[in-house]
Amino acid sequence: MSILQDLSNDLAAAVQTASQSIVRVEGRRRMAATGIIWSADGLIITSNHVVERDDNLFVGLPNGDRVEATLVGRDPTTEIAVLRVNATGLTAATWVATSDVKVGHMVLALGRPEADVQATLGVVSAISGEWRTMAGGRIDAYLQTDVVMYPGFSGGPLISADGAMLGMNSSSLSRGVSLTLPAVTLQRVGPTLASHGRVRRGYLGVSAQPARLPATLISQLGQETGLLIAAVEPESPAEKAGLFLGDTLFHMDGASIRQMDDLMAVLTGDRVGQAVAARVLRGGQALDIQITIGERN
Amino acid sequence: MSRVLSQLNLALSGMVDGVLRSVVQVRDSARGAGAGTIWHNDGLIITNAHVARGGALQVALYDGRVLNATVIARDDKRDLAALSIEANDLPTIPLGNSAQLLAGQWVMALGHPWGVMNATTGGVVIGVGKNLPELPGMRQDWVVADLHLRPGNSGGPMVDVAGRLIGVNTLMTGPGVGVAVSVDAAKQFLRDVLGTPTADAVTDSQSQYV
Repeated sequence: MSILQDLSNDLAAAVQTASQSIVRVEGRRRMAATGIIWSADGLIITSNHVVERDDNLFVGLPNGDRVEATLVGRDPTTEIAVLRVNATGLTAATWVATSDVKVGHMVLALGRPEADVQATLGVVSAISGEWRTMAGGRIDAYLQTDVVMYPGFSGGPLISADGAMLGMNSSSLSRGVSLTLPAVTLQRVGPTLASHGRVRRGYLGVSAQPARLPATLISQLGQETGLLIAAVEPESPAEKAGLFLGDTLFHMDGASIRQMDDLMAVLTGDRVGQAVAARVLRGGQALDIQITIGERN
Repeated sequence: MSRVLSQLNLALSGMVDGVLRSVVQVRDSARGAGAGTIWHNDGLIITNAHVARGGALQVALYDGRVLNATVIARDDKRDLAALSIEANDLPTIPLGNSAQLLAGQWVMALGHPWGVMNATTGGVVIGVGKNLPELPGMRQDWVVADLHLRPGNSGGPMVDVAGRLIGVNTLMTGPGVGVAVSVDAAKQFLRDVLGTPTADAVTDSQSQYV
């Protein structure tokens, strides 16, 4: 019996540890949801879909206080929103990497839609690599569990058996499957939202499709395809850089461009405004071209 | 299998075996209506009011005996009922304390889901309290756990890792969430009604009774 007591008590202790950094987020009429204390100076990270309005937001703190909150930023593509509260004595969450757990490990989903923290238990069902949400957001790792997502649990953490936070749960990432946004994605998007209010994305202004390169280039580059530009948007960074319909883009900022994903990977927010070197095939000739990356609206 | 897992399994099945001796089946007109829990060794059984609605109730014990049961008290509002059977020295379930439950603690629910006798399901406490947003108008002291209750579990025990009663299985609010009337509320019910049966109209809800 004692091993059962140990298991049960350890689970409850993990919940208690994590509870210090879990808040209630009141951002919609229907029912409150959950958020996680991102920084001791008052930044709260939560699920984008539970913040249905831009003002009249409130947060319930672990000590029971209910305080006003302001919306700092949101990114619908990764389902993340950041709020700010004016409060002291906050305990910021500590995060661990997805590599800290394996398929089969016990995990708990926590939520605070009311006063106290609630929990559900499950195991890690699957861990995999980078994926994109239906809205196009890039998530650094795929983390699936079989926890029950109780009402109001969105915006709350998935914790490991010792109470460390693996990521943030959101019921709208997938229907019928419990998915968690890993800590690494929160750490990438959160600060951007905190300082810019939204996630910047690079923009070229082209419509393109993969096309097979000529044999000489294939053997020269060790690359079979490039991106054939099918349309160039007027006034866009692509047009300003001198890109034409029919150009085949095959290299950009040090990376081989074989298909759309490769181009998306180069059009990052931190490259907005930067001039990068690119190579295109035009009329059978390889050309060097400079492109200043713009920002997507 | 690893040592820890084997020990856990042994402990779980051992605890369940002990508790099952205090789990009964409540039948009306020879059909299973739900489960019940032996509260006192002189034949006092606790179950849900919605299990004890029919006439001519009988109780089937774990040892195989089937005895006639009398309804001593029924409270539709709290969905609890107290039955009495003619028996002594029955194995009772030790009583726990639902106010001390913590989110994350492991609990098990026992009963006869879909007529499968003496079955169990386990999970953790999601929360305890009087306010469940998905059960408006049913302010009651609940224990909510992420285990699978099904018709036939009603009236049976929800227990902690020590095999102590912490709730009376009552309903489900989804396939993966089970709700029990807390043992503290059951204790209060028995204090209130022993000797005085009450019957108030039940408030309707959209949750499925198990």
